[in-house]
Order: sequence, then C-alpha cells, then structure tokens
Amino acid sequence: MTAHATLGPMSSADDGNIVMALKDVVVHYPVKEGVLQRVVDFVRAVDGVSLTIPRGQTLGLVGESGCGKTTLGKVIAGLVPATSGEIWFNVTRQDLDELDRLQRSVPGELSKVERERLGQLQSKHRLGGMAKEAHRRYRRNCQVVFQDAFASLNPRQLVRDIVGRPLRVYHEVSGKDLDRQVVDLLDQVGLGAQHLLRYPHQFSGGQRQRISIARALALNPEFIVLDEPTSALDVSVQAQILNLLADLQKERNLTYLFITHDLGVVQHMADTIAVMYLGRIAETGPTAAVFNDPLHPYTRVLRESNPSLDGDSDRDDGWRLSGAVPSPVDPPRGCRLHPRCPVAADECGWQIDDVLHHLEEYNPGLFDSIGRVDRRDDFSAKVDMTSPEQACQLRDAVTELPAHAALAEPIHVDGSVVQMTFKPVSDVEVMEVRPGRLTSCVRAQQTGMSPSIAARPEIKSTEGMSHASNSDT
Amino acid sequence: MSDWLLKVDDLSVRFSGSKGVTHAVDGVSFEVSPGETLALVGETGCGKSVTARAIMRLVPEPPGIYESGSILLRSSDGSTVDIALADQDDVRRIRGDRISLIFQDPGKALNPSLTIGRQVAEVFGEHRLGMIFEAAGLDASKAGRVPRRIVQQRAGVVSKTGYGIIHRSAARRLRRAVDDAVAGALAETGIPNPRKIMSSYPHELSGGMKQRVMIAQALACDPDLLIADEPTTALDVTIQARILELIGEMQERRRMAIIYITHDLSLVREFTHRVAVMYAGRIVETGPSLDVLANPQHPYTQGLLASIPRSGTARGQLSAIPGSVPQLISPPPQCHFAERCPWAAPVCHKLSPVLTEIEPGRAVSCWRFHRNDLVADEMPEPASEWVTQG
Repeated sequence: MTAHATLGPMSSADDGNIVMALKDVVVHYPVKEGVLQRVVDFVRAVDGVSLTIPRGQTLGLVGESGCGKTTLGKVIAGLVPATSGEIWFNVTRQDLDELDRLQRSVPGELSKVERERLGQLQSKHRLGGMAKEAHRRYRRNCQVVFQDAFASLNPRQLVRDIVGRPLRVYHEVSGKDLDRQVVDLLDQVGLGAQHLLRYPHQFSGGQRQRISIARALALNPEFIVLDEPTSALDVSVQAQILNLLADLQKERNLTYLFITHDLGVVQHMADTIAVMYLGRIAETGPTAAVFNDPLHPYTRVLRESNPSLDGDSDRDDGWRLSGAVPSPVDPPRGCRLHPRCPVAADECGWQIDDVLHHLEEYNPGLFDSIGRVDRRDDFSAKVDMTSPEQACQLRDAVTELPAHAALAEPIHVDGSVVQMTFKPVSDVEVMEVRPGRLTSCVRAQQTGMSPSIAARPEIKSTEGMSHASNSDT
Repeated sequence: MSDWLLKVDDLSVRFSGSKGVTHAVDGVSFEVSPGETLALVGETGCGKSVTARAIMRLVPEPPGIYESGSILLRSSDGSTVDIALADQDDVRRIRGDRISLIFQDPGKALNPSLTIGRQVAEVFGEHRLGMIFEAAGLDASKAGRVPRRIVQQRAGVVSKTGYGIIHRSAARRLRRAVDDAVAGALAETGIPNPRKIMSSYPHELSGGMKQRVMIAQALACDPDLLIADEPTTALDVTIQARILELIGEMQERRRMAIIYITHDLSLVREFTHRVAVMYAGRIVETGPSLDVLANPQHPYTQGLLASIPRSGTARGQLSAIPGSVPQLISPPPQCHFAERCPWAAPVCHKLSPVLTEIEPGRAVSCWRFHRNDLVADEMPEPASEWVTQG
C-alpha cells in the first residue's frame, strides 16, 4: 500500500499532523440513456486517488481540462459525494497507520477495543462517517474559493451579506459586531469599509476574488480548496492575489489545495504537487523535484509545452502527446497515457481499442471495411473484415504499430477473420520510486528513472504510421 | 520600414455610452511587414482586441466611432487601401481573403448548427468562386446564378430547388470541387481524417480540433495578414503548443504577416518577432520581442514582467503593480499609468507622453525618455524600485 507515502520533505515542520488524507477516492458520474434514464455507463471522473496533505502546506493539483481535478476538489470540500474511497480529515500519521492496520485485518478478528477504536476514528475524522457535530466542524474548517468569482457571488447580495453569511449561519456574531468583523475580514484581503454596501457587479475581477477569499476566511478555516483562483485574472492582478494567499497562509497556518492548470503559478505556490491525467494521479512529489526531474512522461510533456519567459535551452521537441484525450467513460487499460505517450513501450498496456482508434484516425478506409469485432476481452478479439485482402492489410497495419510488440501471440489471419491477442495487463498503481516521489509510469517504476526519448524501442521509428509517435516530426 | 503590409496610423476608436465616451483605442500606430509576427500584449480592457477588430472594420458603428487615423493595407502591386475609409463592399472583399481573424473561443466562433464542412465552404463560396468552377471543369464567366448558388449552397445559403435547372453532373462536380477544397484546407492544418470532420458538428470536436478548423477557415484563402486574437487562451498547454507550432508553420509556408494578440508574455518570447505593449488604449512600448522582454523600459512593462511567477521568486514575494486599470471614460490628458507608477512626476499628471524612439526599432511612451527641457528638471530619479506588496 503506497497511499500514505509521505508527500513533501520529511524534515519540514510536519509534526505528523495531516489535514486531509484521501484513500483510493473514486467519483463516477452515471451516463444515462433513453426514456427511462437507465444508467448505461459511468464517467470515471476520479478513479482511485490517494493523497495526503500535511498541515500548513500547499498541495498543487495540476492537470489539463477534463482530468478530474475540479471534481477531486469538490469531493474534498464535501460538495460531491465520493462513489467509493475514504476522506480523512485532521488525523495524525499514527492514526493513519493504525487505520491501515485495522482496515487490513479481517473484521471478525478485531478485538472489541480495536472495533471501538475504529468506530471512534470514523465518527471523528472520516467524511461521510462523521458524527453530526464533527461534520459541522468539518464544514467550517474546509472552505472553497472558486475560479469564477462572479458566478460564485450572489449578484443580489451586498458584500456585507456575502462575507457575513458564514458568520451568521454559525451564530458567531450579529448586528454591529458582524459589520465590524466583516470590515476586519475585508481589511485582511485588501478591501475597506467603503466596500461594505456594494454589490458584486461593482467590483473588478481581482476585487471579486478578494471578496471570495474573505468569505472563505470568515470562519477561520484550517483548509481551503482553491479551484483555479487566478485563471480568470490578469497577471498583475494575479500577482496581487497570489501574494495575498501566501501571506494569509503564513499568518494563519492555512493548508491549501491549489488546483490549477498553470504550471508557473503552481511552481510558485505549491510545496508538493500532484499531476493528474484522466482521473488518476500520474505523479506526485516535492514541487522543485517534480519540475526538475519529472518521473512521468506526462509531467515532462506538460513542462516542455509550457512556454517560458526565460527561454530554457534544453528543450526537447520530441516530448509531445499525439491524438486527443480518450473518453473518461472508457479509459485505456494499463497506463492511461499509453496511446498518446511518446515513450510508450510494449508493457504499457496495449489493447484492441488502441488499434481500432488508430485505424479510425489514420486509416479510415481500412476502418470502414471492418465488419464486426468479436471481443473476448479488452485485449483479445476476432475482427471480421469484408475481404481476405483487407484482413492482410489489417495485419500489416498492426505490424507497424508500437502495439505490435505487445502481442501475446502472432496475428492469426483466417480468410477474412483476423485474430489479435495482446498481453493482458492490470491497471497501473502509483508507486514510490524514490523517497517522496511517486509515479504511475510503468517504465519509471522499473528503472527508477524517467524513460528517455532517445532510448525508446526500435519500433517507434516507423514514422507516420505509429500511433504514439504520429506527430513526432 | 518601407516594405510594410499594414500600416495603422494614429488610430482612435471610441465608444459612446450613457456614461460618456470611452476612449478604447487612443492614437495607436504600428506597422506589420510580410512574414512578420507582431504581438499586441496587454491586460483586459487595454484595447488590444478593439484594435484587431478595428483593422477589419468589425467594430459596430454605433456605438463605436472611428475617431481618427488610417488603416492602410498594401497590395502586391503596390496600391494601398485605407480600410478605415473604404466602403462596406470593399471591406467585405478584404475580410477573409486578405485579412483573416482567429477568435479566442473556437466554441463560440463556430456555428453550432452547421457542419464543419459547410462552415469552411462558406469562405470558398464567398471569395473563391472562380477557383471552384475551374476545379469542376466549368467556365466561371459563363456560369449563371444557379451554379454560383450551388457553390454557396455548400455554405448553406440556398434551398435545393436550384438543382433541377442545371445539369446534374455539373452540380455534382461543383459540390465535389467544394468538398475537395474544404478537405484540402482542413488537411493542411493537420486534422486527421478531414472527410469525417467535415460531416461533424462543432460540439463533436475537442477544443484543439475546433481551433484547427478555425485556422483552416481563416487560412483557406491564403490571406496576407492573419490576426490571431488570443487563439490559445481557452486551450490546454499541450494543445496550445501544437496550435502555435501550426500557426508558425503556416506562416513560414505562406510568408503571411501575423498580428498576435495575447495577454501572456511568455508566448511573446517564443512566437513573435516584435511586440507592442498596450495599456489603457495606448501603445506604451514597442520593439523586438527579445529586447523588450529582456530589458523593458516602460514602468508598466517592467511591472507586468515582474508580476509573472517564476521559479526563482519566493512565495508571496511577487511584485504586483499596485492599484488597478483606470476608467477610460473621458480620461484626462495625462499618462494613464501615472497613478500606478513608482516614478510618476508632476508632468506625468499634466500631459500625455508620446512614443519616443530610444534606439532604432524601439520606442517607449514615457516622460523619462523625452529629451525635452520642458520636463528635464521636473523628472525625478526613480523614487523606489517596484514596491513589493505584502
């Protein structure tokens, strides 16, 4: 179990106090169809994510649109229920280790004391299993700042009501004291008493984000989910907000989950970062280490694609993804990146769908002549072609793909029927490769190093036809 | 530079509203040469998009007012057109043919109810009738109204009644010619399987794919000038890199000029030759991209660069520009940046500076660079470095 491998430097002021621990969190949204709205499938928005966030630190969550980072933020904030998995709030590292031990043992074998201990931990710390009072405390202590500050502020309410509402809901203060406290909060985010009786539309984007932050701070939370707080802002305003967030963190020992797609911002703000791709964590580790020496090809691609002001000279142009993001309804098996990865090898999890998708994109003529695909599983199928010649063409086309190396047995052509069987692989897990560095890249797990583009398998050189390296030149 | 393709001179665009007249673009001048990429950089509301739209005469009048200035576009034979004064028919001929525009959000710029094929065909129907007729083996000069409309019909203009009148095979050839032209234009932008894309609707495509379609549409008629208005802001970084590469490749192949509008200075460095930094409707600094980024002279450019988070800056130590962008409704005649400037002197609040050349190819609009006795004794030394907030 690698779920609790420490994120971030062990030597930091981390006293073992973990604000948020995620264990194998899964969020599936149902896909409904037909008059009866029958559930036909699931969008795997978050598919097994384990993370820990120590107190006083910032975890940067990076990924492209649709990778599930916002959904993960919502799950943590309690806005979306997790389909499965656990979220633990405010636990110590000892608690987590104990939990691991208790949950691993067979329920019947637990002693009464142990069962009580487990129940106690659950009712105090587990989101969903919390007692009412604990859950109320959790909601006070976990606040969210959303991306679009305009949409997240009620246009009909005054700033006083917006910022003061959490205080009123939790019966903190009322009347004159409320106003005083709101002014105090506004003051902390760089606004003043003159803004108290204005509506959101009277503010600029940066000021609105400040109001959002003031509202999030009202109840003095321990943990704030920042969901792209600056991506709608100009750089000069973004700098103001980032400074403000950093100052507040220092003052109040806040813990942040900073969700963003901007690598420059996350590099600046985060102590540790987690890179997400298609609902799963690709890589986690201390920010500087992840940026300087990425252990997952996806992180590397992100870094190389990010234009920089300083103009690094060692930019390697081979690092790019081909094709489009696969559907999260039916994500690729094995490593989720393998159909697009520039350094994918035969062990990365090739399957029938990869061949079909590739034909559809780059060889539509042949794709149209596919009659029927008779699947045994994801890795093995009989493909009916309209004629024996086309069956041979299909065989030749597959031979030129990188997937070819992953065939379990040679392609068998019988008349117009082609039988393909790939080596089955299981879904990859995140593994600790070096202390504090976790990656889900199979090849990095084997060697402990990021696979280099120069040393990729021979078969990749068949330019033009190979799916994974199609746009390499 | 004498070989300019487009020359914008003292362009001012205003908007009249209930609260007064907004000076959105205020005396902007620049030139673009063939094969060159000029970046217009600035923050929200600085007038960069209005400038771009003004070049294509897309600013609606009213409420927009072309207050002053000229937009000269030079043809290959040396003649020039002033777009600011040209009549609507002439402007229509220029749009999409000689100057094209790529918008920020491809999801909004494409028509959701037409297939991609039809939308791209629209460009050919509008500007390349002759080419389509030739490809179909018909004589364009003899073609009547019906075949013309068939070409445009691929663009979704006309009902099917026209088919009966001309020969069926001719109609089929015409349609095939249009489809071929469209498929060719799409294939050039690296879209795999263009025939399939042609029959799909915008919502079926990913953001990067939609932006490729936009580029195909914009470049279909081989324009001399491409205006790209934040073409990658809505896209992920990995796709952004591909799209910028594509635009660069197309530029190299066709030697077109590009005006690249963006708020992202890091893109400027890698993808543009020259940059013009805009603030509050005016150009405050211009010069070769690398020079301007490495050695910014205007206090606004300096502030903007300093506020970008880099690996070296400590957390919470970004130097933000204090204050916010001024209102542009009837602004006073002064340097618009004076209120936020650490070097502001009395003269900055009294008079507007003009773009002054500080070295060949580089100009700054700041009183500090005016070699003028009027202000020389009034200009103080820099009061302080950029004040770090917090």
